[in-house]
Parts: sequence; structure tokens; C-alpha cells
Amino acid sequence: MTRGADDPWRVIDTGLRSAAENIALNRALLEAHQAGEAPHTLRFLRFQPAALLGFHQHVKQELRLDYCRQHDISIQRRITGGGAIFFDPAQLGWELYLHKNVFKTSDLSVIAARVCNAAAIALQRLGIDAQFRPRNDIEVDGRKISGTGGAFDGDSILYQGTLLLNFDVERMLRVLRIPMEKLTDKAIDSARDRVVNLSELLGMIPDLEEIKQNFVEVFASEFGVGFKPDNELTETEHSRYQHALAEIDTEEWVFQHDRALTESPTLEAVYRSKGGILRVNLKLDLRRQRIAQVWFHGDFFVHPRRTIPDLEAALKDIPVKEVESCISDFFRQRQVDMLLLRAADFTAAVREALRSCDTELTSV
Amino acid sequence: MSSVSGCELPDDLFYNVESNVWARMEEDGRVRVGMTTYACSLAGEIVALTPKKVGKFVKQDKSCATVESGKWVGPVKAPVAGDIVEINTSLLDTPDIINRAPYGGGWIAIILPEDWSRDSVYLVSGEAAVRQFEIKMEEDGFGGC
Repeated sequence: MTRGADDPWRVIDTGLRSAAENIALNRALLEAHQAGEAPHTLRFLRFQPAALLGFHQHVKQELRLDYCRQHDISIQRRITGGGAIFFDPAQLGWELYLHKNVFKTSDLSVIAARVCNAAAIALQRLGIDAQFRPRNDIEVDGRKISGTGGAFDGDSILYQGTLLLNFDVERMLRVLRIPMEKLTDKAIDSARDRVVNLSELLGMIPDLEEIKQNFVEVFASEFGVGFKPDNELTETEHSRYQHALAEIDTEEWVFQHDRALTESPTLEAVYRSKGGILRVNLKLDLRRQRIAQVWFHGDFFVHPRRTIPDLEAALKDIPVKEVESCISDFFRQRQVDMLLLRAADFTAAVREALRSCDTELTSV
Repeated sequence: MSSVSGCELPDDLFYNVESNVWARMEEDGRVRVGMTTYACSLAGEIVALTPKKVGKFVKQDKSCATVESGKWVGPVKAPVAGDIVEINTSLLDTPDIINRAPYGGGWIAIILPEDWSRDSVYLVSGEAAVRQFEIKMEEDGFGGC
């Protein structure tokens, strides 16, 4: 087939499926789009309970395998980047398959920002203050409601996101290796401060069809196109899907990256400053010397409250040697009321945690 | 050394402009491959890399490695067909070397080409490369390295 500039885009809902089927569909639809065999597409999808790794992540470092196996939570590896997530039927997936020329740029960060801003508008229509938070989150008052990531092949891109409709935080904490060793009430509270779902914000889960229609209308407006529903895969997509499923629904695919847990230690520290007690929990990527994930909590005053999750997002995947400059840049760029707490206290707390792992924090 | 919009293009390399990769014919007949500065600039900081295994045969324009930047994952496409005979293992822990030295320490793989004279017809160098990159950057709405 050939894609005309004025052709309507396809909207397809592939329903509730296993993780392997959904990831194989990612591969098949992207390949078919790249080969010019499929139209520009908006796809909605849902998952049977699954722990999904980013393409380059290591299984043992990200997931609690025993819990997943005991509770029939399948483990899969996405073809897109980013971090591990827990996906269950109470979440809606959305994704776009497009040619880069739709964006008139090949700059991937610009493409991600445009899609995320549009997705945030679709959520605002439900009556929530959803905003894009660089690099890849959509948040409400600092709490993440949607994570996103992408893949490309030639000039075709796949950009996908989650949407938390309702969410079992405790279950997520049992599936994912968060930066806290034990699942205490504090850990659960910390997680609740960082993620939010539509049910909590609205007191009910809006009709799924209404949510999807919002995405369709906002993307149609953003890109100046019409959408045509079509719930059948093309013949070539179907055959590519079968081929992809045979590769992806295997242990070889899922465990292709599986470094030891000791290479991703969880570190913690308690730092007492004039502004209060600052606790830090972080996951360190030892080989790459990067902060995989960091949580700050404790007894201190910060206004606005979203400062903390925003700071944590800014520090994600930052090289250890850039932590100090990242923290000072972060506070320089915004108005934060912290009483006697200073930006340097956050750096000192991270330094304290890293010391337990013989990793030095040097400024650049 | 040529450059387009501030992106360096060494004159001794062959390029596949569409895939944004380079190839260098070594004295021993093997071909070293990597990403261009332009590709690096579009991607941003590269945070992970998975090369295909040594000994694996790759077709021309098929993936010889997968890279990740800013949560985007994509292939590095082999400029020539052949067996992968060496990979740059230093990139496994420090993939951002690709950004810092894409034509030097950031090389990605070495391929023993199946038929260099057949495949190199599809590659460009020198002035032709400069012209094609100028067109591509304009199409991409690229602001410069």
C-alpha cells in the first residue's frame, strides 16, 4: 500500500492480551509501517498482569522474579526504551505508529515532547491537571500518571504510553525492585506520593470509550488528520506478528539482558541538616556509574510538594559525577520554599548513600 | 574534514546517509562501522547499546546493534553485509563514548564484508556525502550539531 498525506489514520483497539502478544504486535506494526505496508496508526491495548522491562534492562535488577512467578505475572521485554513497569488490566496502553515526517523533525526529544503534550491534553479533558514532565512522563501535581517510551526503525517511529486508570500500588512494589529493600508502610506511602491514577483523582474510573475518544480527538487536532476505526490487522501485519511472537514469547528474548543484582545495589542514608532529616534511597547502576532511581523522604518542609518527585525525575539515569551540578541547576531554575534546607543538603545526602558503596561523588 | 551544519564528516569514510552510519575500509580488508555525529545529535546521549554477537552474519541495512537514548530504542544499520568479527566492548558500560568520539573510540563493530565492491556502490563519500547530508538535514528540519 502507499500512504497518502491526506489518508485518514487508523485507530485500532487490540483489546486485552498477554504481554508477549502485545510486544509482538509492537514489532509487527512497526515493521509493517516501516515497509510502507500499513497506515499511520493509533493503537489502544490492555495487558494481562505483566512486568515489562525496557529493552536494555536486566531482569534480576528490575524485578522480583519469585513474586511474579508465584502470582502468574508474566515477564516480558519491550522493544521500547525506559524503565520497568507493572501493567495490569486496570491500565490503558496507547501508542502511535507514524513516519518522522509527520513531525517535520528527526529530533527524538522534540517528537516525544509533542506526543506527550498532546496526550496530556487528552487527559485534561477528563478534568485533571495533567502535564508533560520531561523527559518522558505525564504527571498530575508531580505524581506520575503515564510513562512513555519509543522505538524507531528507519523513518518509522513507535511512541507508546501507559495510563493508570486504577492501580494497586502494593502489588507494583512487590513486582518491581524499587529503591527500598523492605515493603514497609513508609515504602508504600512513598510510592503513593509518586504515582496517581484516574480513579483516585476523579473518584471513579471514566468510561474507557470516553478516554479513548479523547485521545482520538486530540491527536486528530494536533496533527490535522482524521481517524478511521479498523480493528483488523492487515495480512502482512498478521504474518509479521506470528513471526515476531515466535521470537518474543521465549525465555531467550526475555532474559537476553540479565546481569547480577549485585551490580545494581540499593543504597540508603539518613542526613541530618539544619532544615530537617533527609532520607535518601537510591538504586545505583554500578557498572555505568549512574543513578538508576532515587527517592527522597524524611522530616523536612518543601513547598511546592511536587519539588521532590520533580527532582527525582531530573536525577533519573544521571551519571554519579553529574549529581551535584544537576541538583544545583534544578534548584536554581525554580522557586522553592524549603526553610533552612538547602540544595547542597540533597547532594550531601546522596553522597552519604554512595559512600556505603565506595562510590565517590565528584562535581564536574 | 568536511562538515554540514556543524556536524563533522571525515573525508576518509563512506556513508549511508539514510541510515546515518559510516564505514571505514581498514588495511586488512575489514570494515569498521559507527554512527555519524549527525545521528548522535538527533539521538541525544546514548545510554545503552546491545551489539549483535561476534560471528553473526548481518545483511546490508539490517541492524548490527541496538542503541537507546532518552527512552528511544533503535537499530544501527550495517552499511555493508558480512560477518561481525569484533564489537567495541568498551561501549557496553560507557556507551556515551559514541557521543563523544563517534568516529574514534565510539566505533560500534567491525564487519568482514561479504562483497565490499557490491555494497559500497550504495555508500557515498566526499562531496557527494556532503550534498546528501545537506538535503537530509533540510528534510529533517535539523538546526545543527
